[in-house]
Amino acid sequence: MASQIDLLQGTLDLLILKTLALGPMHGWGISQRIQQVSQEVLQVGQGSLYPALARLEQRDWISAEWSTSENNRRARYYSLTKSGRKQLEKELGEWERLSAAIALVLQQG
Amino acid sequence: MSIRNLFAPFRKRSRALDEEVQFHLEKQVEANIAAGMSPDEARRQALIAFGGVQQTKERIAEVRWTRILEVLLLDARYAWRLLRKSPLFTSIVVITLAVGIGLNTAVFSLIDAVLFRALPAQNPEGLVLVRWHAQHRPKLHSWRSYGECSGNGDNDTCSLSLPWSNTVRSQTQLFCGVAAFAPSLTVDLSGNGPATITNRAEYVSGDFFSTLGIKAALGRTLQPSDDSEHAAPVLILSYAYWKSAFGAAPDVVGRSVRLNGVPFTIIGVAQQGFKGLAPANALDLWVPFSTRPLLTSGFTPRDNDESSWWVVTVARMKSGVSRTQAQAALSLLFRNQTENGPKPLFTAADQPGITLQPAREALTGGTRNTLQPLYILMMAVGLVLLIACANIAGLLLARSAARSREIAVRLTLGARRRRIVSQLLMESVILSVMGGALGLLLGRWVARLSLLLRQSSDSGPWPYTPHLDARVLLFTLSISVFTALLFGLAPALRSLRQDFMPALKAGATTSDESGRRKWYSLGNALVVAQVTLAIVALVSAGLMVHTLRNLKQTDLGFDPHNVLTFSVRPSLAGYKPAQMNGLYHELQQKFAALPGVTSVTYSLVPLLGGYYVATDIHLPGRPATQTAQTSFLPVGPGFFSSMRIPMVTGRDFSPRDFAIAAEAASRAPDAPPDPKAPPMPVIVNRLFVEKFFPGPNPVGRHFDEGTTDNPNAPKEPGFVIVGMVGNARFSNLRNEIDPTMYVPATSDDVSFAVRSTSDPQQLVSAIREVVLRRDSNLALSHVITESEQIDNLVFIERMVAQISTSFAVLALLLACAGTYGLLSYEVSRRTREIGIRMAIGAQQNDVLAMVVRHGLLLALAGAVIGTAASFGVSRLLQSMLYGVHAGDPVTLVAVAILLLLVSLVACWLPARRATKVDPLVALRYE
Repeated sequence: MASQIDLLQGTLDLLILKTLALGPMHGWGISQRIQQVSQEVLQVGQGSLYPALARLEQRDWISAEWSTSENNRRARYYSLTKSGRKQLEKELGEWERLSAAIALVLQQG
Repeated sequence: MSIRNLFAPFRKRSRALDEEVQFHLEKQVEANIAAGMSPDEARRQALIAFGGVQQTKERIAEVRWTRILEVLLLDARYAWRLLRKSPLFTSIVVITLAVGIGLNTAVFSLIDAVLFRALPAQNPEGLVLVRWHAQHRPKLHSWRSYGECSGNGDNDTCSLSLPWSNTVRSQTQLFCGVAAFAPSLTVDLSGNGPATITNRAEYVSGDFFSTLGIKAALGRTLQPSDDSEHAAPVLILSYAYWKSAFGAAPDVVGRSVRLNGVPFTIIGVAQQGFKGLAPANALDLWVPFSTRPLLTSGFTPRDNDESSWWVVTVARMKSGVSRTQAQAALSLLFRNQTENGPKPLFTAADQPGITLQPAREALTGGTRNTLQPLYILMMAVGLVLLIACANIAGLLLARSAARSREIAVRLTLGARRRRIVSQLLMESVILSVMGGALGLLLGRWVARLSLLLRQSSDSGPWPYTPHLDARVLLFTLSISVFTALLFGLAPALRSLRQDFMPALKAGATTSDESGRRKWYSLGNALVVAQVTLAIVALVSAGLMVHTLRNLKQTDLGFDPHNVLTFSVRPSLAGYKPAQMNGLYHELQQKFAALPGVTSVTYSLVPLLGGYYVATDIHLPGRPATQTAQTSFLPVGPGFFSSMRIPMVTGRDFSPRDFAIAAEAASRAPDAPPDPKAPPMPVIVNRLFVEKFFPGPNPVGRHFDEGTTDNPNAPKEPGFVIVGMVGNARFSNLRNEIDPTMYVPATSDDVSFAVRSTSDPQQLVSAIREVVLRRDSNLALSHVITESEQIDNLVFIERMVAQISTSFAVLALLLACAGTYGLLSYEVSRRTREIGIRMAIGAQQNDVLAMVVRHGLLLALAGAVIGTAASFGVSRLLQSMLYGVHAGDPVTLVAVAILLLLVSLVACWLPARRATKVDPLVALRYE
């Protein structure tokens, strides 16, 4: 297992939004996907995942719904709302500007 | 919605979260097993990976609450910014609310002070009141009840005998102390400046103060040894009386004063704020029970035995003893004593028993009388608040309609309706909380002012102190929030229900007809409601003012102007009955010699002093068992000429008549009548003659005393009519005048009436001087002019009339402001329409008429509904009305005209503005 990196709150929100942009998913699925896609570098602690989901839900960026999971168990599926999609675009733009700016600074040396 | 339902979403959330966490853990376990762990290990690892379940839950809850607070704060700031942008609107609303909420807070804090009066004692929860109950009344020697506890009639009160309170005290296994008391003691206090009469004294047991835990501010309180047969007579002053009557003299302890002529030593001043245990009156002084034989002239030893019930007993429970236990033990004792004593008071069939009641609940004496006017007031101020709410709702409605474009834009941009309602409501809540805070200050101030109120002119200062306690704060907070919902909800919901497309399309506020119509009907309804409430208030006030005027204009049958009345109570100063006539004769001459005095007389009680004395008579030729009732007043020489009651026929009382009366009075009350004695001469009023002796000449007619208990007993010498006078009011202003019989006054305390040429108040000091010089033990009391007495009789009516008039004016002003606001708004909305009308030829007058017609239609609708409603409401007032009916047409018409005139003014200003509309500008407006 590669070494893990702690996520800043804002970053976790962005990752969750991005993950949900692919389609509705339950909490466990979200954490697994982030772990897989990041090749085990990003481990989302459950202690921060669910509060983050609650926060995003409060802001109306994601919505939640009970439905049946793969093997017929009830699970809470989260999906992106209209304003969540807008928020994701906004944050992606900001992230790109930020990382480009950081890259510029770092490359200079 | 119940509280349970209110929190249901939260509980549902919590259960959902459990399920979600469970699901997460199971998935992790599956994954771990798939990775080759044993099931147990997989489970353990999953739990470790998840971390603290409880912490996670708490953090989620925190997120939710933070967000809710955040949103509320955001809304509050947004609303506050908007409100600050319109300071005039904000201050009008806040002031209106402050008046409404302030008045309600004030009245509530008075009711609170009466209902939740704390018992003035240490650890009051241990105090119980001893009361008795039985199937029938006991056979008693004497019985007095003071209304200290509200009972269920005569068979269930808290008056008991003095020996019984000692029996309770002796049950030391149940109680650790007794505080027994008997209020309503009137004494003449002399030896401290001019003699004074106080009716605020009380007999108490020697352990009264120690049982209650009341300390002395000065000196000491009573001890059991002060309350014994041979103890030196002592008294305790209340703190307030010490300050008012003794100038807070530090050396008062040890001073000697005379009560009813008997020397008493002041041994102490009770701690500040203690006014007595029962609430009705603030007391001046306390004396031990053992001094009763010294203070009461007619005292017989039987007054202190088991068959005289006149003592209220409060006991302190021993800790560890239950109330039921003590009650059972006392009941047994009570039955035994009352059924099997030397003189049984009850039979076994009466089932006598004792109840112990928590003293704070039980000692409610006088509260009912105090609360009744307060409840009327509460209704009145509630009405004012309702009108204020309707008024503000109208203002907010106009405001939210003006903002319909803003709201429509936000809705299309994806704002949730819930959020917009919550923002609009937040605006109301902020207004209301500001109004409430200001109202709290106002209410404190009004409540303090009302402390100057007295329940009547006779009682002391109001015995209850309103405090700003948690209940009052809670009340103010809840009515603030309630009013916010009341006036805020309708406009907020209305702003959502409108179809917002026209508002957007029009780009201006003129042509969204459908939205306007809807808003409009609600605005109209609010104005009609305000007018209706104002009419109800005005009609009630009109009826009360009418009543007051009728009462004051009643024909009294005597001349009340420039007459001073005052009581002299020689019986309290140690005079024997035989000495009194001489005293009165002497005083009468001395008063008459004072400059400015035209005539002097006296009677048992003053006319219209709130007293009523009646007696039964037996008319000649009627069956022996049949009696008739007549008002009855012993009067002194010159009464009729002095009070200016016309003598119709016959003559006034002669000195011989007074001698006959004095002779009759000097016989022992139990002695058989002397048939040879001359009949008592009486003077009767015209009604008496019309009712009982119709015929040519009543003078010389004879009748007997009515004795109901033994019709066959020998008749006394009876009465003979010597004169007939005009009808004069004696007991009150409202009722029909009764048949009245006047007899020569003898050997009793009396009230003098001094008629003077100018304001009789100027005579008071000269009269005091005369009395003081005659005997320094004699006190004047109830010094008051006849005109003031009459004012006192209409005290409640006047208070209600004044208060309801000011509230009605307030209601009228609010309704006017409401009409004005609605019409102003209408005119500004319809600027374009008015412009078009004028462009195609409408005259200024047409426009004026259009607006005024609308306003008057609303006023008329309100007037019709209000008149109908006021029939119902004024029926509630019927018992207070005099000489005017609930549906009095004069009042109704006057109120309707007043209202229409006032609303005409309210319509006029906006209508004028409408006529100033320039068609060109109006059309370009869009």
